Amino acid sequence: MGQFIQYMINGVISGSVLALIALGIVAVFKATKVVNFAHGHLILFGAYFYFTFSVVLSEAAFMPDWIRSWDPAWLQAYAGDAAMFSPKAAIASWVSDLPRILLGLIGALAANAVLALIIERLVMRPLLGQSAFAMILSTVGLIWVLEGSAGLIWTAEAEQVPALGPNFPIRFELFDQNLFLFSGSLVNLVVALLLFASLMLVLRYTRSGVAIRATAEDQSTAYAMGINVPRVFSTAWLVASTTGAVAGAILASRNGLSPAIGLFGLSVLAVVLMGGLDSFAGVLIASMLVGILSSMAQWKLGGGVAEIVPYVAVLVVILIRPHGFMGQEEIERI
Amino acid sequence: MALNRRTLLKTGAALTAASMAPSIVRAESPHWRVAASLPMTGPFATAGQLVAPAFSEFEQQVNDNGGIGGRPIRIEVEDSGYIPRNALANFQRAQAGGDLHFYYGDSTGFMELVGPTLTGDNAVMMGSTSFASALSDPANRPYQFMAGPTYEDQFEILLRDIADKGGKTVAFVYSDTEFGRDPIEHGRRVAEELGIEVVLEEVTRAEGADIENHVTKLAQANPEYTILQGYVTGVWPQLIGGARAFGLTTQFMGTFWGMEKIIADRVTEQAGPFLDGYQGVMPYRYFYDQEDAPFYRELGEFKRSVNPGFSGYVTAWELEGRLCLELWKLCMERVIEADKEVTPDNLMAELGAIRNWDSGGFFGEPVNVVNNKIGQGRVYRYDAESRLYNPVSDWIQV
Repeated sequence: MGQFIQYMINGVISGSVLALIALGIVAVFKATKVVNFAHGHLILFGAYFYFTFSVVLSEAAFMPDWIRSWDPAWLQAYAGDAAMFSPKAAIASWVSDLPRILLGLIGALAANAVLALIIERLVMRPLLGQSAFAMILSTVGLIWVLEGSAGLIWTAEAEQVPALGPNFPIRFELFDQNLFLFSGSLVNLVVALLLFASLMLVLRYTRSGVAIRATAEDQSTAYAMGINVPRVFSTAWLVASTTGAVAGAILASRNGLSPAIGLFGLSVLAVVLMGGLDSFAGVLIASMLVGILSSMAQWKLGGGVAEIVPYVAVLVVILIRPHGFMGQEEIERI
Repeated sequence: MALNRRTLLKTGAALTAASMAPSIVRAESPHWRVAASLPMTGPFATAGQLVAPAFSEFEQQVNDNGGIGGRPIRIEVEDSGYIPRNALANFQRAQAGGDLHFYYGDSTGFMELVGPTLTGDNAVMMGSTSFASALSDPANRPYQFMAGPTYEDQFEILLRDIADKGGKTVAFVYSDTEFGRDPIEHGRRVAEELGIEVVLEEVTRAEGADIENHVTKLAQANPEYTILQGYVTGVWPQLIGGARAFGLTTQFMGTFWGMEKIIADRVTEQAGPFLDGYQGVMPYRYFYDQEDAPFYRELGEFKRSVNPGFSGYVTAWELEGRLCLELWKLCMERVIEADKEVTPDNLMAELGAIRNWDSGGFFGEPVNVVNNKIGQGRVYRYDAESRLYNPVSDWIQV
């Protein structure tokens, strides 16, 4: 039982990262009816921007030393001679890295937002009024443009970036079993769930949220009702790119920074289909389910099979419910 | 002008002579031609860019010393992006450009792809970045060789070292790639022979592995030693970091591509000294270990002479490329000295005849080339404070 819970915990943590990635895909789809195949590569750019600001830029000669490593006397006194990986040492190291983590996050959010606005303005907006199919295909083209650009700008080697939270093992007992999780993963889980919940609240209770939902329902009527539809599109891309930047930073700190992040993001599309393209709640459930299934398969069947099992489950769900767990079935009236 | 029989014959002869001229010129090429594919872009761009100087410097050094058999060499390097079909296209272009005396491939994928085509006039002596066990097969791969031990050999060296130190349990953690799976079956067999129990075989993604789950499984299996295979710059540092943070005491070990000092130094710089104590097999001396390595000292002096900003360190990746070239040069010299024709068969025959060769310091002991490989290596340990890999075993022959 203890082991089962341990792998459940691992699965929920993986699922929360999937949910954060899926969030951006649903946000764009809800507003524009476009499935953004390039979302994984937006996340890749977010990860590289986080690396650029938190590692490359923070070490630049013109940057003050405290950005690279903040080491005030009180922090030194706090750390004392704590052993590496002890909670104390991990917290001290994280506080010392905090200026560059914040610089990395702010930089990644801003740079990814600019990138998304450029994409929306130059690629998506000219296609407004055209078929959704044309817009979807243009996002497929974007994958290669973004991947190629990332290869030209950054080296493709795996790099290390600072984690968003301090990383030490938290051990606890449940059902007479010793369990653990990393504090860094717990921080990632909290960040992902907070972002998810905030966005759902914004969509439900704010004017922008209502505008997005109205546009998703019917663009022409939304225009007629005075909603600035192009701005709604921009907002959706902004939401996707900024949540993608956070997802990128989390993925890079969890697994190392490499071009594989783009493909990982692309694979999350299957999770979104399972949950329902236009349902945040459905996608959250699907993400957790895939995370847990993947974790259980890794435990019982090993890595080779673990890659396949969750996606077989996705396929089964789509066969039974083509619109996913909570996706809206579209009824076309003639 | 009227076209009579005589004019037609003259014109035909002239055209034939003109069309033959390039091949005559090629046959009398004043250079020995070497070509290479390197991943200058793509996932292993850093590795490719670090290996590249081995080729330009080798060309300059050899030509400064009068070439090989009095004839200079010419080296052409092209980018493959680590895509086997690109490397194959590079190779075919190089072949179409005239006599090719040596080719250096960029990956196992390329070597597998091109291997079966190396027959008859297409045959070329070929080294590469790969230590894939399948390439050590003179019967089926008569023109391909590696400048070191196969991955199976490297696993065996590690397992023997574990047995020597009294180790009883081991875990194999490897990427779900050909590179990762290569030595696993052999590793199982050798472990059994040595009385070591394989308590876990864990397959991971090649990049972006799920660290929590892998650490959980390692914690449950609790091996004394964990051998990592099939990674270059990613996954292994995160896995070791996760396991250390969890408090696991298992001794992590790696093979050639996971043993580069600049990667360990970069991880230490960016994420802390958690790689301290990491061990692995390295076929060559590290470049800073120059006491018994006259070749390294000479190479260092040359590098300083052409580049005053030379850091003083040459990566093991570059050394591997350079060693392939040195082995080719040795074979060329022996073929020319024996007054034989320079053909791929003669070159490979000389390679297979290498016994007790003093490599000038690459290897700790004189080496033999058996089955188109050199089965020697040593176990090193990383010290995060000095940022050096230090030897913890003697040179082990397999």
